[in-house]
Amino acid sequence: MPDTTIALREPGPAARRTTWFGRLRHVEPVTLLWAVLIAALLFLVAFPLLKLLAVSFETQGSGAFTLANYGTAYGRARYVEALLNSLTLGLITATIAVVLAVPMAWAVSRTDMPGKGFTWAVVLAAFVMPPYLGAVGWILLAGPNSGFLNLAWRWATGAEDPLFDVYSFAGLALVIALHSFPLVFIFVKSALDLVSSEMEDAANILGAGTWTAMRKVSLPLVWPSILGGFILVFLETIALFGTPAIIGIPARINVVTTQLWQFFEYPVRVEVAAAYAMPLLLITVGLIAAQRLVLSRKGFVSQTGKGGERRPIRLGPWRWLLFGWCAGVGLFAVALPLLVLIQASFAKAWGRGLTLDNLTLRDYRLLLFEHEMALTSVWNTIWFSGVAATLAVGLALLIAYIVARKLVPFGEALGFLAMAPFVIPGIVMAIGFYAAYAPPPLALYGTATLIILAFTARFLPIAYANSTAAMRAVHPEMEEAARILGSGRLHAIRHVTAPLVKKALLGGWLIVFIVASRELSAAVFLVGPRTRTMSVLLYDLSEAGNFEVLAAFGGILLVITMVFVGIGMKLVGRDFMLRRT
Amino acid sequence: MQMITRRQLAAMAAAMAAMGTGAAGAQEMPPHERELHEAARREGEITWYSGQYSAEGSEAVGRAFGERYPGVRCNVVRSTSQVAFQRLSQDNRAGVAQCDVFSSTDFGHYSLLKREGRLLKYRPVNADGLLPALRHADPDDTYQSSFIGLYLLAHNTRKVSEAEAPKSWTDVLDPKWRNQLAVGHPGFSGAIGIWAVQMRKMYGWDYFKRLERNRPLIGRSSIDPVTVLNAGERSVGVAVPSGSTLLSIERGNPLRLIYPTEGVLATISPSAILRNAPHPNAAKLFMEFTTGPYLSQTVRLLYGESLRPDVPPPEGSRPLDQITLLAPTQEEAEKGVPEVRELWRDTFGI
Amino acid sequence: MSRLQLRGLTKAFGTLTVVDGIDLALEQGEFISLLGPSGCGKTTTLRMIAGFIEPNAGSIELDGERISSPGSVLPPERRRMSMIFQSYAIWPNMTVAENVGFGLKLRKLPAAEVKRRVREILDVVQMGHLAGRYPAELSGGQQQRVALARAIVVKPAVLLLDEPLSNLDANLREEMRFEIRRLHDEFRITTVYVTHDQAEAMATSDRIAVMNAGRIEQVDAPHMLYTRPRTRFVAGFVGRTNLLDAQLRGDEIGLAGFALRGEGVAGIAEARQGPVLLSVRPQSVRLHRAPPGTADGRLVLPGGIAGRVYLGEAWDYQVRVAEGEQQLRVAAPPSQVHEVGAPVWLGFDPEQMALVE
Ligand SMILES: Nc1ncnc2c1ncn2[C@@H]1O[C@H](COP(=O)(O)OP(=O)(O)OP(=O)(O)O)[C@@H](O)[C@H]1O
Ligand SMILES: [Mg+2]
Repeated sequence: MPDTTIALREPGPAARRTTWFGRLRHVEPVTLLWAVLIAALLFLVAFPLLKLLAVSFETQGSGAFTLANYGTAYGRARYVEALLNSLTLGLITATIAVVLAVPMAWAVSRTDMPGKGFTWAVVLAAFVMPPYLGAVGWILLAGPNSGFLNLAWRWATGAEDPLFDVYSFAGLALVIALHSFPLVFIFVKSALDLVSSEMEDAANILGAGTWTAMRKVSLPLVWPSILGGFILVFLETIALFGTPAIIGIPARINVVTTQLWQFFEYPVRVEVAAAYAMPLLLITVGLIAAQRLVLSRKGFVSQTGKGGERRPIRLGPWRWLLFGWCAGVGLFAVALPLLVLIQASFAKAWGRGLTLDNLTLRDYRLLLFEHEMALTSVWNTIWFSGVAATLAVGLALLIAYIVARKLVPFGEALGFLAMAPFVIPGIVMAIGFYAAYAPPPLALYGTATLIILAFTARFLPIAYANSTAAMRAVHPEMEEAARILGSGRLHAIRHVTAPLVKKALLGGWLIVFIVASRELSAAVFLVGPRTRTMSVLLYDLSEAGNFEVLAAFGGILLVITMVFVGIGMKLVGRDFMLRRT
Repeated sequence: MQMITRRQLAAMAAAMAAMGTGAAGAQEMPPHERELHEAARREGEITWYSGQYSAEGSEAVGRAFGERYPGVRCNVVRSTSQVAFQRLSQDNRAGVAQCDVFSSTDFGHYSLLKREGRLLKYRPVNADGLLPALRHADPDDTYQSSFIGLYLLAHNTRKVSEAEAPKSWTDVLDPKWRNQLAVGHPGFSGAIGIWAVQMRKMYGWDYFKRLERNRPLIGRSSIDPVTVLNAGERSVGVAVPSGSTLLSIERGNPLRLIYPTEGVLATISPSAILRNAPHPNAAKLFMEFTTGPYLSQTVRLLYGESLRPDVPPPEGSRPLDQITLLAPTQEEAEKGVPEVRELWRDTFGI
Repeated sequence: MSRLQLRGLTKAFGTLTVVDGIDLALEQGEFISLLGPSGCGKTTTLRMIAGFIEPNAGSIELDGERISSPGSVLPPERRRMSMIFQSYAIWPNMTVAENVGFGLKLRKLPAAEVKRRVREILDVVQMGHLAGRYPAELSGGQQQRVALARAIVVKPAVLLLDEPLSNLDANLREEMRFEIRRLHDEFRITTVYVTHDQAEAMATSDRIAVMNAGRIEQVDAPHMLYTRPRTRFVAGFVGRTNLLDAQLRGDEIGLAGFALRGEGVAGIAEARQGPVLLSVRPQSVRLHRAPPGTADGRLVLPGGIAGRVYLGEAWDYQVRVAEGEQQLRVAAPPSQVHEVGAPVWLGFDPEQMALVE
């Protein structure tokens, strides 16, 4: 074999002569890259959180150690009550979300229900709609005296009392659940997709009907996903700022986020806010631990493998009932709020209803051509979200890679860090960023950089989960095959792994982009006058109670989002947002 | 500006003609403004944290400023006054200067800022043309009057007749108004804080305990009740700004203002230049704009009160000299607003 | 100098030592199989050779250069090897030709040269007509051929294969076995082939290294392994055998009820006196209806058929030796039919017996 070594250096005496050089040859140059990544993670996640922890023990001004902040933070019944309110709200909301989503997921994944595409669109639309816009929509729908639903109800039944009061605990929970159930849906559907029909067949042959098989076999098999979705919604809910501010204040429900906001009133008490946020972190960490514990005992559907043969279950007439359920959720989560918002955005005075003389383009004109900040905020939103999504996906991919390939001994810790922001309420994250990077030496307060970094950190978990799933789908041998043929690790990643995960990553990018573009709680403490995003401007607008302008601006935000969703569907396939992320 | 009726346009034209200012170009600028304009142009922009005028009003002021002084852009950061102050405090805490001019309806903010030495002393030439009562807001000239807010009662005429409607501040405490009232929040709105201080001064905190029993719908801004009334969600608004209410009436909403028998809450609030303002010349120019006729001309179209004798008050608003004005002193405001904010949260739970 | 040399190669995962002091040397152009039961550490060994796993002890040398030792592992891409994976790892985003040309492009060969070599090698594996296809459009066997072509085309110093045929059906597996051997005969690439299928190992290899629990039990040519197993494990794992307890006394192997002359029995020279283990291949015993006329000095014993299974290619008889309790399995051609219970005579061929440890 004369030309064995075509272009590879023939090992000669040189390689053996100097031992350190020989050693160097054995070191992968990319090790340096891993070090950089770890530093980035520490900067984005660990440092702000540690800073938050440290600050919670500092005396304002002097910086001396104190426990007083905890005393202040939990020294008043009202503050403790806000925490309890948040927890209760989280539980109720998550329960509602599960109740809404699980039948839909089962119907779409396992049955012959008609209108699956429609249901899919409902879930997507509910996911894409910013929660605070939904909240405004629901105020217009279910204000006890003026909401269209309640007016219709009174008109139809002659009743005195409203059908549903949005300014209530139930109202707050329902409105949040109507915009967070897609998380449960995504989790449960993708798990159900992996349950092979044979599992149900096996139950059927033993005498279980469709209903029993679903209850006793399919659903228990996807129990971890249901639990996962539940926890996710719970966390989203306690981290939400916009909806509680818009509905919770009139409903007189103080929650953690609105309470944190109060600690930022003059004089800004970051220390107390930090102390107040700590138990929240403990609770979420505890939840995740509990989930692990519950799940470790039994075998469940494998999340990675392919299911066996799958057939839709024939439901007969029941399928219309299920369809009705999905359509109902669509009506309340998407169609009605959207309709009233659109009506309001074109109305001179939204309370006067839909009449020709009430129509105007005034608010759109104001926003698009006259409002000094509106278009700037649109542009800010797009580029902040775009850069953050790129950073998050890039970082997440490399971390997922390190962890999946076990390249560093403490890879699990890296993965944990990348997932950590997941359990940190966005507003806490923002306070951490404020404490760590707003003041000198970095003095990033109000700059685009700070907002982008905060977005990157906040949505790193989404990107990471997405990248991990993508990495899992690529057999390590794919890459090893390239390496043994002479391709270095980075070369192999670029030419083999990256093309294989490209679509999944693009999907991940778009999801991060979309959620970042509507993110409020992480942005509201960090923006400066010229770096306000659409969501913050919307929040500012909502402070002045002008629902017409607010609705019009929401309309613009939705149009922009839809454009990106459209791009995503075109490039990645129409279910890109609904794959398990 | 799309919301101007033809009648108003005529009135405005007449007023401008009378004063000879018109849609002023740079050449008609008085020398002191021209000088400042030159310097401000080099700075290019000014950032204005404002809680004084409505979102629409603030935007209109920002635009009018930019039109009058080409090359100087006004970044309007409009929020409720307490939120604006919160932003300012956050900036300060972070050691970052972003704000040039700060405008709040809670005039207690200014004595605090002044004491901390965070305000820049500047006497606008145009301030001499203000209403006599507004001319010297601060003997040391660290802040200047920029806003007269009138806060009163309003009702939805479809839900409550004029005869039934409450006549005084204490009327709304009647249990018959249970679930019918709407009000802003002192934790957000500066004016509501001032109003609460004034009510406490007149009736003690008991006023709010009784108000709470009527379960008012609590918004954030003092403008929120107007929206709520428009929708018919509630029938009586407490401490609503006259300007926003009048604008809303003009747009066809069935509202009516009630001048309480005890008097109208008036917040005569100033604006100030921050000592660390990144654009000091533009900020000074903005103060000239504010105290000059230009701001008053702009805001009166949105039913904001005029600050100058040479600009007529907005239509439909009673002239100031015909009403009783209620207001706490500045000291009372500075000390009282944080107190009533806490009390409010204890009483109302939010 | 050997092309590839493993010295005391050891790997432990945590406390579990899965590869335990392996020594192995491959000559240039040699084809060696690692054969052993599941979990015995074959893949781990192979991946250490490839540079994907760092050893805990021992070393690997390629052409005399140390490429793996604890704390210092030359990355796979610098080893001039290529590998065929159990999953084939054909990149689904590249066509057949792109897959095969990948390694050549890495070596910065001119495009025309790459094209020529790809075409040549694809013809060799009979895939020339499918060069433009994507892997998803290929059958399992075709993917296997692509993997082979991709690994061979770069003319590696060492070719590594990890159970490359285990995903194929029986017929295809047999066909590919010969294909692999044919390619080896054509290119003479030094090859390490991992399998747990002895037929596969026998069909392809120059030598087979039988592994058990992380150690190499024996390295030998296939026929030597079969006829001269040195350990009980090898005797049992490679082909079927009768393992009989015996006593070695001088030149005689004493079994329950009878004795055997040790002359010609493998391993007799090395064996210690006393209790030993005798491996008797089923094929080494001949069955006769009547006492054979000429025994050539071989041992002949009477016995009876205790049971039988017809396997198509052969009969598998259970034969009880008349004297003593010994039962033996004996393979006989399909034409030799003995009824259960019928008396038979057993003729032993010492050439196919071995004393094992
Ligand atoms: N990364 C690892 N961590 C821990 N144990 C491992 C790891 N890889 C392999 N093992 C263990 O090492 C032992 C040998 O594994 P190896 O894959 O080398 O076996 P094998 O001989 O290739 O088996 P098979 O024929 O089933 O492929 C097994 O017991 C396996 O469980
Ligand atoms: Mg293996």
